Amino acid sequence: MSQPESLAGVQEAENALKSLQIGAETDAKKGDKLKVDILLKPTGNAPIMKKKKWTVESDKPVGWIIEFVKKYLKLDSNEKLFVYVNQTFAPAPDQTVKNLYECYNADNKLVLHYCTTQAWG
Amino acid sequence: MANDREILREVWEGKLPVCFKLDPDEVVELQQPDPFYLMVPRMSYFPLVTDKIRKHFVKYVANGKQEQEMWLKCNGQPMKWHLPIGLLYDLLIDSEDEALPWVISVHFDKFPDSKIYRLSNKETVESYFMSCIKEADVLKHKTQIATNMQKKDHTQLWLGLQNDKFDQFWAVNRKLMEVSGESDHFKYIPFRCYLEDSYKQKLVKPVAEDGSRKTLQHLLKEVFPDKPNVTVKIHGLIVPLDTPLQWMSEHLSYPDNFLHLCVV
Repeated sequence: MSQPESLAGVQEAENALKSLQIGAETDAKKGDKLKVDILLKPTGNAPIMKKKKWTVESDKPVGWIIEFVKKYLKLDSNEKLFVYVNQTFAPAPDQTVKNLYECYNADNKLVLHYCTTQAWG
Repeated sequence: MANDREILREVWEGKLPVCFKLDPDEVVELQQPDPFYLMVPRMSYFPLVTDKIRKHFVKYVANGKQEQEMWLKCNGQPMKWHLPIGLLYDLLIDSEDEALPWVISVHFDKFPDSKIYRLSNKETVESYFMSCIKEADVLKHKTQIATNMQKKDHTQLWLGLQNDKFDQFWAVNRKLMEVSGESDHFKYIPFRCYLEDSYKQKLVKPVAEDGSRKTLQHLLKEVFPDKPNVTVKIHGLIVPLDTPLQWMSEHLSYPDNFLHLCVV
């Protein structure tokens, strides 16, 4: 069982993520800030996230999600985290949530499985 | 089925002459190193061909920087390691500026972490390549072929690409290009449409509701409903708009089974 995450801890993780550079859109396209629901599920020995359902801006890349989950789970920055779609393939870190949602959403949610070791090759 | 073998071979044999030059600011020796020329397959990936380049240039940079991860730049833009070489060329070089050899600058210092990911080793690119094959398979087939393949088939695909062996690669890839069951087409077409700094991906079927075959024009209309005159390039060629999607997917896809279309 993982440590219960305090609300402050989550806030801290979110703030830290705001400062992340990778994939951060430089030109904030105003009216284009669509958001999508994602569901993060652990697999293998990965720790559970207390809050599974998140709403994220659709232009965020997968690399950002990976960093987000790592911060949330308080993993070391050099620890690996893998994210899978359809329990089949690992999208590239520069793939956007929007593209994945367009192709693989189920019931208006994008389900992503995460694990700390490679799960589906 | 991918039956036009001549086309498959032509696409496979596409190559680009590249001239690699070390960034002069990084040279610490008195003498500038010679540029390094290489003929590279469009279908391949830079991490598969850059060992020699690293070896050639590494002795000219400062001792402390020799162990750093090398990176490549063209037209002021750092190049993404995980994209096929032909796609990078089509993305970064405007048709008007086309002049061969393709000049690429090589860097050891100041890795642009905010722009590209550190994916320059072969294993990382291999696992990304296999992931693309699996994703394409999810889109094409109801029952997944790639997931049920044996490890040796995966290895054969990758080695076929790495060693530029067409027959070795296609012996396995043709299974991925088969259509499942009664159908004569894929469920969806695996493609990505590249704009300046991003790409679009969507579910597009190769046939219309009435069973008629859809063409590239239909795909572009679905991806860019607001833009009437979109032209795309793949393997350095402008594709005619009336090209059927199913045929395109079988014959013009990159080895990762995706159609990587550059909007021009």
